[in-house]
This record gives sequence, structure tokens and C-alpha cells, in this order.
Amino acid sequence: MSALIDAWLQTPLLAIGLSIGAYLTGFALFRRLGSPGWCPPILIASLLLAATLRLLDIPYDDYRRGAAWLMLLLGPATVALAVPLYQQMHHVRALWRPLAVCLPVATLLAAFYAVAIAWALGAPPSLLASLAPKSVTAPIAMGITETLGGSVSILMGGLLITGVAATAFVTLLGRWLKIDDERLLGLALGVNGHAIGTVRAFEIGPTAGAFASLGMTLTGVLTALLLPLVWRLAGFAA
Amino acid sequence: MRVLRGFFWLVGFWLAGDALVRLAQLPLSPGVVGLMLLTLYFVVRGRVNEDVAGAAQPLIMLLAMLIMPGVVGVFEVLDKVAEHWLAVTASLTLGTLLSVASTLWLMRRLLPQTTSTSCDGDAP
Repeated sequence: MSALIDAWLQTPLLAIGLSIGAYLTGFALFRRLGSPGWCPPILIASLLLAATLRLLDIPYDDYRRGAAWLMLLLGPATVALAVPLYQQMHHVRALWRPLAVCLPVATLLAAFYAVAIAWALGAPPSLLASLAPKSVTAPIAMGITETLGGSVSILMGGLLITGVAATAFVTLLGRWLKIDDERLLGLALGVNGHAIGTVRAFEIGPTAGAFASLGMTLTGVLTALLLPLVWRLAGFAA
Repeated sequence: MRVLRGFFWLVGFWLAGDALVRLAQLPLSPGVVGLMLLTLYFVVRGRVNEDVAGAAQPLIMLLAMLIMPGVVGVFEVLDKVAEHWLAVTASLTLGTLLSVASTLWLMRRLLPQTTSTSCDGDAP
């Protein structure tokens, strides 16, 4: 058995097969559990995959080398986000003035709060760089963290927790502040909770979903443009 | 064939983004620059290219699976983060609570009410 696995590790197809299998199983389990918002399918799939790797005694680095072939697609998939962004362009045209004020501020605040709190509690610069893009959609956030000199793995965990937390907080605060404007709830979900928040927004309604994907994509682009600059100005070594 | 043509476009725009990043030494990832270039192209043309849309949708649906290898890496670095668990937990939860509150407050002040002229009819 271990000889076979060693042989399979010479090809990326084992890692690709395990990833697809875990993803499909994670999704099926998610449905079976009644689609709980606090536990996105990607979390179930990742836990399954981690357990499988442990069980088959496959080192993470070996897995990652094969899975890199799959992650290669992240590049064109990021470019593909231009399609939903363009489809929401009419919202941008109609509301460009409030959006032009809101989004850069909200985007920078999200990063600022995270970095300031972690810094005050003694986190080292490399950890700060991994936490700064925590509200940005994963494919874009990975690029930002690499630019800043952080760890992609820590970032991924941060993204998951942030997405789930943002979804819960928007729901709670929205109820408390009696906000029922779908545009507002959608934007707040997309800006703070990236893809996980956007999924929740589509459950609220199509308008909320549209504004969430708009907020998510613009937050990603704005953070990618602004954060490395601010980072350099603030004097963190990249 | 349509998906393949669309994929060819996406790869082309990624390569264009990469070229721009290298030439101008931008602190950006090639994907983000490619995303901006493609959006710009759509804006100039005034519509989405059907081939690109056909390839974009399945790819976007796959995004969660594409980032999964990175998520699995979390379990490998848990011991490195353990030392700073309070900083990480507070930053992620308290930080997110603060940013959600700021966003909602800011947008409620700045977004015009739904009844005003700027709304464009995909409500109610």
C-alpha cells in the first residue's frame, strides 16, 4: 500500500483526485446537514482532506506539490471575476459617489482593525501580513499576503473564521439596528465576509446577493491596490 | 469549444496582467491586474463577451475547491500560531465585529434611500 502511494505521489493526479473527492464529499455532507451557515462546505471538505492525508500518511508538502497543478487555475479564475463585476456595473454607475467614499474607507478599516488588534496583542510582522487581507476573497487575498510577506496557510484559516464571523455579525447588527435595505446588508456581507458572506446574501435575496458580489470584488481590487502601499508607508518590512 | 475559447481569453488576460506587473513592477498579483484589464475591456466594448462568460461561470463555481489545498495547510501551521492564539482570535472576531459595525454605519449614512431616484429597478 505505501509503495503504491509512493509511486502515486510521483504524479500530481493523486493529489488532484483526493482534492476533488474531498470537495464533492464535503458538499454532499453539507447538504445532508441542512446547509448550516456557520459551517461552510469548504471547511468540511478541508477537514476530510486533512484526515485522509493523515490516514494515508501523506506529508502535506507532497500533497501540496501535486495540488499546485489545481491551484494554477486560481489565476484565470481570478480574472474570471471580471464577468460578475461587469454585470454589476450599473449599480456602480448609479451609486458611484457613496460607493467611492464608502468602499475605500471600509476596506482599509477592515484591514486596520485586524492588524491593530493583533499588533497590540504582540503578533510579529509576518503574522500581521497574514491577517491583513482577512476580508478579501481568497484568490485575491493569497496574492496580497504573498506580496506582504505573510503565510498563505494562516491567511486561509483567517479567511474562514472572518467569513463566518462577518455573516453572523451582519445578521445580528442588521436586526438590532433594524436595517432591512438589501443593498446595505449585501454590501456589508460582501465587503466584510467575502465569498462566505456573499453566499449568505444570496439567501436574503437577489439584490443583496448582487450588492454582496459587487462589494466582494471591489473590496478585493481596492485592497490589492491600497494595502501594499499603506503597508510600505506604515514601515512594515515586506 | 466555447468554454475553451473563453478559457483562452482568461489565460491571455492573466498573461497580460503578469506582463504589466513585471514591466511596471507593481505590488499586485497578475490575476488582479488581469481582472481589471478584462473589466476595462468589457466597459469599452459595452458588453460581456459570451465566450468569456461561458468559461468564467464554471471556474468561479470551482473557486472554493481551488483554494482548498491552501485551507488544508492551516492544520500544518496551527502549532506556529498557537503562541499568538489570543492575538489571532481577537483580531479575527473583534476586528470583524468592528469593521461590520463601521461598514453598516457608514453606508447607512451615505447610501441614498431606496425610494430616491438612483435606484435602478431590480428591487423590491
